[in-house]
Amino acid sequence: MTMRSKEAHALFLVVVGLLAWLVPGGGHLAINKKKHAVIIFVTIALTFCTGLYIGSIGVINPVGAKPWFLAQLMNTPAVMALAKISRAGGYAVYARPSEIGQIYTSIAGLLNLLCIVNAVYWAHLRRTETTGD
Amino acid sequence: MSIVDAFILASFTVPERIYVNPQSVLWLLPLVASISVVYKATKIPKIKAVSFVKEVVILFGSIVVFMLVTAIVLYVMAWLVTE
Repeated sequence: MTMRSKEAHALFLVVVGLLAWLVPGGGHLAINKKKHAVIIFVTIALTFCTGLYIGSIGVINPVGAKPWFLAQLMNTPAVMALAKISRAGGYAVYARPSEIGQIYTSIAGLLNLLCIVNAVYWAHLRRTETTGD
Repeated sequence: MSIVDAFILASFTVPERIYVNPQSVLWLLPLVASISVVYKATKIPKIKAVSFVKEVVILFGSIVVFMLVTAIVLYVMAWLVTE
């Protein structure tokens, strides 16, 4: 692999990773794995929305629940906008709905992190298989 | 904003009523299902409907059975300690 194509490959991997973070399944779509992309998008979006439905938008709390928020942020950068709305609105949530909502939204984020890593790995694998590097 | 839109938005601003009881543990099942689906989607290079569903069901069952066994072991240990 030449230096230039190595740089292009590294850039491609970054783009795949970013796409996978922007929209769940986006990275898989970029490497032409449409079925994977649809399954990942539907499952992660449903899990995240279920968490929000159970615990309300208040489960996204960047001040009082920082570690959970970091995991939630792995879903998509749009979570930052939701955090802004949540802080401005003062949506209080306690006890069981809060726990379950946070677990659902955070697990959805961690699953998307797994998908980001997986999309980047497959993108890298595809390149090395074709070039033999 | 239509009434339907307002209703959908409102349902995401008020938490559901879930009490601390044994039934609330059942909320783990949808989560286990989504973990199984996403994990298998990252593991199988070419997805075919039948084999994919089969793999997901096997993983889902394995996780639930393992959690049940763990719960039983913990219950027995707690019973032995307290009796």
